[in-house]
Amino acid sequence: MTTPAVSSTSTISAGTARQAPASFQELSDLSVMIGGQGGDGTLTVSDLLGRYFRRRGLYVYSSRNVLSRIRGGHADASVRASKLPVAAEKATVNLLLAFDHEAIDIGRAELDADGLILYDSSSFQSDAPDAIGFPFATLVGGQVGQPIYKNTAAYGAISIILGLDPILTSAVIEDRFQRRGAEALEKNLKALEIGRRLALDRPELVGRWSVADGDAHDRILITGNHAVALGFVVGGGRFFAGYPITPATEVMEYLMRYLPALHGVARQAEDELAAINMIIGASYAGARVMTSTSGPGLSLMTEGIGHAGAAEIPIVVADCQRVGPSTGEPTRHEQSDLSHLANLGHGEFPRLILAPGTIEDCFQLTGQALNLAEKWRLPVILLLDQALCQNAVTAAPFDLSAARIDRGDRLTAEDLQKMTRYGYYQYSAQGFSPYAPPGTPGGIAQVTGNEHDEMGHVSVNPVNRAKMMEKRMGKMVEVVPELPSPSLYAMEGARTGIIGYGSTWGPIREAQEILRHQDLPTTFYQARTLFPVPTPSLGPFLDSVDVAFIVEHNYTGQFARLVREHLPEHHRKLRSIVKYDGMSFRAPEIARRVQES
Amino acid sequence: MVETVKPIPSTWCPGCGDFGVLAAVKKAALELAIPSHELVLVGGIGCSGGIHNFLDMNGIHALHGRLLAQAVGVKLGNPKLTVIAAGGDGDGYAIGMGHFIHAFKKNASFLYIVMNNETYGLTKGQASPTSQLGYEGNVENPFDAILTALSIPAPNFVARTFSGDPKQMTQILVESLKFNRENRGFAFVEALSPCVTYNDTYKEWRAKVQDISKLSGYDATDRAKTFQLCLDTIAQGRIPIGVMHRPREVSAEAASLELKLLPDRTGPAVADIDLTSNRATYERLLHALA
Repeated sequence: MTTPAVSSTSTISAGTARQAPASFQELSDLSVMIGGQGGDGTLTVSDLLGRYFRRRGLYVYSSRNVLSRIRGGHADASVRASKLPVAAEKATVNLLLAFDHEAIDIGRAELDADGLILYDSSSFQSDAPDAIGFPFATLVGGQVGQPIYKNTAAYGAISIILGLDPILTSAVIEDRFQRRGAEALEKNLKALEIGRRLALDRPELVGRWSVADGDAHDRILITGNHAVALGFVVGGGRFFAGYPITPATEVMEYLMRYLPALHGVARQAEDELAAINMIIGASYAGARVMTSTSGPGLSLMTEGIGHAGAAEIPIVVADCQRVGPSTGEPTRHEQSDLSHLANLGHGEFPRLILAPGTIEDCFQLTGQALNLAEKWRLPVILLLDQALCQNAVTAAPFDLSAARIDRGDRLTAEDLQKMTRYGYYQYSAQGFSPYAPPGTPGGIAQVTGNEHDEMGHVSVNPVNRAKMMEKRMGKMVEVVPELPSPSLYAMEGARTGIIGYGSTWGPIREAQEILRHQDLPTTFYQARTLFPVPTPSLGPFLDSVDVAFIVEHNYTGQFARLVREHLPEHHRKLRSIVKYDGMSFRAPEIARRVQES
Repeated sequence: MVETVKPIPSTWCPGCGDFGVLAAVKKAALELAIPSHELVLVGGIGCSGGIHNFLDMNGIHALHGRLLAQAVGVKLGNPKLTVIAAGGDGDGYAIGMGHFIHAFKKNASFLYIVMNNETYGLTKGQASPTSQLGYEGNVENPFDAILTALSIPAPNFVARTFSGDPKQMTQILVESLKFNRENRGFAFVEALSPCVTYNDTYKEWRAKVQDISKLSGYDATDRAKTFQLCLDTIAQGRIPIGVMHRPREVSAEAASLELKLLPDRTGPAVADIDLTSNRATYERLLHALA
């Protein structure tokens, strides 16, 4: 079929689009999905739309679904814009932009009843009755010289269909392409105009929708990986070593770009074994350190994390979880490393697991992880997940004045002069010892992963061994008051609890609204500390509900198992809502599964 | 004065080759008058890796095979420290081989001493990467670290010494540490260090070592020539020792990793992380995201 079907709102003419309220529909929560082959520029379109909506004061959530390859294979990106805060994908798509057949096949399933499919008809014709084809690549190739700008033309057509402000539509292009030079900018603006013309020539498409303005102004649009990286810098992090791995690499790339100006170092190591040991070395030297990785890299880092626990060397490890085990699905979403992390390594040693759920958490908890690690002299894991790491969301600019740096009991040469004795493993009431980085006059020390006495001498003395085990393991108890507290979202009269962590925050918050409209008030415990299991707050939470659903992205209900183990008295109340297909939860699915139980 | 950790008496077998290395490290540190609080010894796993316990300086005992990664971290963390990594042939050439190759490539200024005894002594005499054919039933060809080092085109300092020649060993360690302290790059010194209990090669090695600098055509700045001299020496049943590679001269451009990354040698460990003084920079980073 070469002539696209006329949509049901075709009565609107170009000239009257903005004055035709009869079929004019204003969207206050919309989703645009862009699909094609890797290299088609789908992410560029979603980025441009995201920038536009953000500047109109809307909350934006943009996500991507790509394959682990540079070019080719299906790739799609979604951008959601809403007057209300959102941190999840919308259940249905209003507008689908397709650069190939597959994008239509995949996207169609998610299309809203009133949704519209727009596709590039340069290389194929869709026989979908409701699909509208424009030859973006052909026209752009002819008039601009390079068909690759077809994505910008498509953005132009979308801007007409959604009734976007033409001045801001171009301004966003300028924002994005200015850095690439005058020629690239000019070509993009030309392509934009080609796309706009195509849509303007189709009166039934002009102003098919309009998009409400929001009041969320002065927001930043940021991914979790960048929020973690920035949190690290502001938290005083100055040494990073990592190894490229999806979906964690952006942390390393950001830090390689910005740390050098701050007397910081970010290095790409030869493997994860080197990365974890490089940060151990730099931490011992006195720097605040971090690495970021994902499942396969985490497996390799396990020996290093155990060493840091035994030798009492502070490190922060950001685990951007993906589908595992083995190579799994590098670009897909899962939360399946918790059991490993809670039990990680041979032998027994203290470790903390913090779980940011919002973009603000990513920033703030990274700083807190650095403080906890350095003061308590132990490894701290920042447990992230693919959706949180790589999807971009609007946020208020982070509050820099709320940042705090706590270096624990760090000694200077003057401090040492006042002391009679200094050993790296000196006993203290809370389990952490004072420390002087090497190079501090008077502060010579021995540091080792062998069992040791207070001075760092290797020791197998049974009395010493027991005391040192108690010193280290005791930190897990003493540290509890300093751990991040949960975020609680309680509705009046709620007796149904929901427990979640990481990126499930977004869909759970929306599911709460859906359930409220279904007369089921809920209360949500967003765990920000996962290990040690936050019994002091989770116990009372479970006391307050009749049933609690633990929502997580894994097969076995890993956090649910920990909660059952540590709060056995509540086990009858606990239900698991799990998902392990590589895709993140959308709100209606959580709401439905709460209702069905 | 504050009481800190004191060196303990060595736990090595009497006559162990590692005593030669211990003495040479002490002499070199003394000769260069390096304050002990500025010295860090990163120890590997194995008999030799315990050397940090016997020295009056800072010590950090690394995981098996990971001492080079930790040493790179220490040096980049604070380039003003003098860093020595020391371990055995199993630690460096078996489990640590990946890091070994990359240490040359990275070229951070620290000294790596491998005490090569051609056996796993601490676990009671298994074949190591450098073991000769036939040792404990070994059927794998021995690894030669010097030939490998010479094949990596980076401006490193490379040498082999023998515990039976303490004078040469001290000289070479002094030269290596000077090279490091001038931030010129990585120094690798293999010390032939016999295990008197499981592989006593003292007599054999004393007879076989050949100071390569005494051979005609020797030029430590010429990799290809040195490589050929080593091959010729080995073909004669001898073991080449001496300085194997010495970069031509101090180059105007930074050669070492720490100088490339931290030209003023102010490292992450001492960087200013104060929130107030960095506020303007952090604001800029935040707005770059808008």
